[in-house]
Amino acid sequence: MDTKLGNYLDERFGWRGVWAAIFLRKIPHVNWLYTLGSATLFVATLQIVTGILLTMYYVPTPDHAYDSVTYITTQLPAGWFIRGLHHWGASAMVVLTVLHLLRVFFYGAYKYPREVTWSTGVLLLLVVVGFGFTGYLLPWDQKAFWATTVGTRIIAVAPGIGPWLLRVARGGDELSAVTLARFFGVHVWVLPAALLALLLIHMYLVIRNGISAVPERKE
Amino acid sequence: MEPSSTVDASPKEISRRQFMSAAIAAMGGLIGAALGLPAIAYIIGPALTKKTENWVRLGAVSKVETGTPTLFKTTVQRQTGWIADQQEIAVYVLTEDGQKYVAMSNICTHLGCRVRWIAEQERFFSPCHNGVFDKDGNVVSGPPPRPLDRFETKIEDGVLYIRTV
Amino acid sequence: MNEQEKKSYLTRYHEAKEKGVPFFPDIIFKDVIVSLLVFVLLIALARVVGVPLEARADPADTNYTPRPEWYFMFLFQLLKYFPGNLEVIGVMVIPTLMILLLLVLPYIDRSPKRHYMNRPWASLAALAVVGGIATLTVLAVLEAPPPQVTAGADQAALLYSKNCSNCHGPSIDVPPGTDLHQLIAGGKHAGMPAWGGDLSTDEIDALAGFIVSPKGSALYTSQCGSCHELTVLAAGNPLELQRVLDQGPDYPPHTGVQVQRWSDTLSVSERNALLNFLAAPDGQRLFAVNCAGCHGHGVVFSGDEKQLRTLIADGGQHLAMPAWRGTLTEGDLVTLAAYVVDPAATPAGQTLFEQHCSTCHGDHVPASPDKDTARKVIATGGGHVTMPVWGTVLTPEQLDALVTYTLAAGQGGGAAAGGQLYAQNCSPCHGQFGEGGPNPTRAGDIIAPISSAEFLKTRDDITLRAIISQGQPNFGMSPFGAANGGPLSDDEVDAVVSFMRSWEANPPVELPTEVAQAQAAALTGDQLFTNVCSRCHGPLGEGGIGPALNTPAFQAKYDDQALYDLISKGHAASQMIAWGEVLTTEQIQQLVRYVRALQPGQDPMTFSGAVLPLLQEKCAVCHAADIKLGGWDSSSYKAVMTTGDNSPVVVPGDVSASLLAQKVLGTHTQGKIMPPSGKMTAWNIQLITDWIAAGAPDN
Repeated sequence: MDTKLGNYLDERFGWRGVWAAIFLRKIPHVNWLYTLGSATLFVATLQIVTGILLTMYYVPTPDHAYDSVTYITTQLPAGWFIRGLHHWGASAMVVLTVLHLLRVFFYGAYKYPREVTWSTGVLLLLVVVGFGFTGYLLPWDQKAFWATTVGTRIIAVAPGIGPWLLRVARGGDELSAVTLARFFGVHVWVLPAALLALLLIHMYLVIRNGISAVPERKE
Repeated sequence: MEPSSTVDASPKEISRRQFMSAAIAAMGGLIGAALGLPAIAYIIGPALTKKTENWVRLGAVSKVETGTPTLFKTTVQRQTGWIADQQEIAVYVLTEDGQKYVAMSNICTHLGCRVRWIAEQERFFSPCHNGVFDKDGNVVSGPPPRPLDRFETKIEDGVLYIRTV
Repeated sequence: MNEQEKKSYLTRYHEAKEKGVPFFPDIIFKDVIVSLLVFVLLIALARVVGVPLEARADPADTNYTPRPEWYFMFLFQLLKYFPGNLEVIGVMVIPTLMILLLLVLPYIDRSPKRHYMNRPWASLAALAVVGGIATLTVLAVLEAPPPQVTAGADQAALLYSKNCSNCHGPSIDVPPGTDLHQLIAGGKHAGMPAWGGDLSTDEIDALAGFIVSPKGSALYTSQCGSCHELTVLAAGNPLELQRVLDQGPDYPPHTGVQVQRWSDTLSVSERNALLNFLAAPDGQRLFAVNCAGCHGHGVVFSGDEKQLRTLIADGGQHLAMPAWRGTLTEGDLVTLAAYVVDPAATPAGQTLFEQHCSTCHGDHVPASPDKDTARKVIATGGGHVTMPVWGTVLTPEQLDALVTYTLAAGQGGGAAAGGQLYAQNCSPCHGQFGEGGPNPTRAGDIIAPISSAEFLKTRDDITLRAIISQGQPNFGMSPFGAANGGPLSDDEVDAVVSFMRSWEANPPVELPTEVAQAQAAALTGDQLFTNVCSRCHGPLGEGGIGPALNTPAFQAKYDDQALYDLISKGHAASQMIAWGEVLTTEQIQQLVRYVRALQPGQDPMTFSGAVLPLLQEKCAVCHAADIKLGGWDSSSYKAVMTTGDNSPVVVPGDVSASLLAQKVLGTHTQGKIMPPSGKMTAWNIQLITDWIAAGAPDN
């Protein structure tokens, strides 16, 4: 980008400063376990891309959900590929997030000055689990329907307001078109918004405080 | 890695960095392509699927009146995405000699209104913009840009079939 | 962590950072490599494992075992350890505390130590949690195996869940002997609709089977469902089904088909479940399929339940006589047989007889028409082979049902059975409530009510029985008793009488006679035929109890005069009464004209269309490809014509020389009349004789 265009844009965007701050910053010597965070970010991106592609055909109503998922999987070119990536990516997200969390825990990387980074990370884990739970219902097959029936029923266990919370979660007493629609809404609007917001804070803090060094036995 | 830990890069260090940058670009490109190309196929997929053609039964040949366009109605199964539905189509069939049969769509080529055969005037009239076609479907007057669309026909065991697209 | 420690950490971190590498490209290089690996792994999973998509969600399916996504499994497993009121701890308290703990961890653990070995308790606690979650997940996977993917859905279960489970829940407990088919088809109480209008009879059979044996239904789906439509096999012939299960791949129609040897792969209880599903234990149907061929439809049994059960279970072997085949030598058997046929001529047999037989038979030597029959009886025991050993064919549940039904039916069936018989046989003339009405056989005549208290009190049972059995030809009532050529057995006549007696306590409403009289106007030929002839000859003259009138054969056989005489004088050998006493000359002429005008339908007098089905119904229980009593097999044209110990049993064109005709007519010289349950109806016999007379064509 040492071109005229680069200079022109730098004058207006100041991108060279941003580039240097993010990409040319120095990092202590770290091992391969430190790639887990980036891998999680990569899979998250993958989920966003494949998720957007899936919404192009998916219809979140009980009379079309199953048929449209079948159509995506069996009729569309590379439909199995997109849906397969999204499905397995969901599991990969959980695995990578937890592994990343364990790495941070065992290296004591959540300590000063990275306490808030850790807390946003824990919230991100909850968001990931929420994605998994809401996304599970969307294909509207037997597994989806019954797992969600049982899964939501857990809410009713909460003392006092449990049954009422269950009605809120399902949008009624039973799993229905309302449930499917709100799970879809949460899955593609609420959670992605939360994910992006938390991710921005998380990334800003990572860059601001730097990646923690591998701790030494003698401190 | 001792020498490379300094900020001042040696030529060797520069070539190493160049290699890594190239590798990053290559791997990133690979991932992008492996995701992007299927994504493109996935998006344009419905446009690529061939339209299914099949022969649809219209009715007995004997019901066609010689010299007069005779109206037949039939239903066509259509599969759009994951939704299968039936569509009723109406077809005018004309024969002059009982040998050759011409099947014409009743959809006006102008804006898709349904044309109607008026026997007294020996013309098809479109109710929307005064399009007029003659017995063979050729435009006589009005805005229609081309004659009425025709279907390929075949006769088996005295039954008339048209090929729908 | 105090300020000092914070400062020292920051200093050390800064040094480590200065010695480090730039984020791009060094770190990103590693990141991209790992990302690429993850990406390839995901693609491989999508390609190799694919994405499971199960059947469309069915909220009515009560059998589905829900399974959460794998990363929730540990939570579900945890729930199992918190039963009842404690559930809230497992579901809410523990997970919430864990999450809170995670969130505030950095604010609690403020020590400057970072290396995991330097903070052993925290590390151990974390390891314990990770290990616990892993263990719970593994346990959950092991304890709840994923739902089995069956080739096709269990159609009967589907029917059940659609139609029955809303009211009946997941299963119904049915007392043995319940006629499920009739119950489902006809409905029962106010809440249970009659399904006969919505479900096909095959579907009702499948449902009945499923209700009795859900396990059998599942077995059917896995074992037979990939080739057989559900509704084709259900309610099949138990003998045949048993044979299929026993023979597996050796069963002739299964030749070349990849089927299992079920006698090895399925346990006895599994095979029983399957049979129960396919032939639901429904006494009446079982009786119709298995017993009626020899015993007729009238159920006659007066013993107790135990006797009956033994009798059916052991079949022909119920007699105390053992099968001597295993005990005596072939020579001894022959000698004994000769002795039985002609004791005087076989002195050697006497010793044997005294030794083996006189214990039970005493001095009385049982009579036997010929040596072969005698030998067979002795060799196989009292059972010979006429009655199959049902104990090996029917499942215990089916046996229960059959016994229950036979007992109930044998005891006359009470007024309920009588009511049905009345509706079939009597109500056309006497009305649904015995109210009477215009006599269809005598213009202007009115049949008086038979349900009035006066009528019933002035006639005893014997009189009623006699009237039903013998009929009242002078009033146009044909005889109904079997002894007089009618359709009802003595038991059935008794049942009708007991039904009529039930009116006595509460006589149904009697119609004013004027109403009935008004209907006795002049009748057209059509009306006459419908009233008088159609009950036996069918509404279109297609035949029923009596022969078909619309066939070319019938039309050619009689000219108008002969037809007139036939109607007027009746037919001595059949139930056709002399209508001349009942109808006017004018009316009989009307009928002749009407019969002449009957459209000939498809000629049913073909072998495949009429004779073979009749043979199947009446003979195939004993004369089939694999039972072949007397060496005769009635299952196909070729077999009928060629097999038999005295083959040919059919001499084309010669009725009197055909053994088959002799046997059904009763003009035979050897053995019993066939079928053993009693002579077939005149119409059935005529079907066979006509066919033989026509040259026994294979048509």
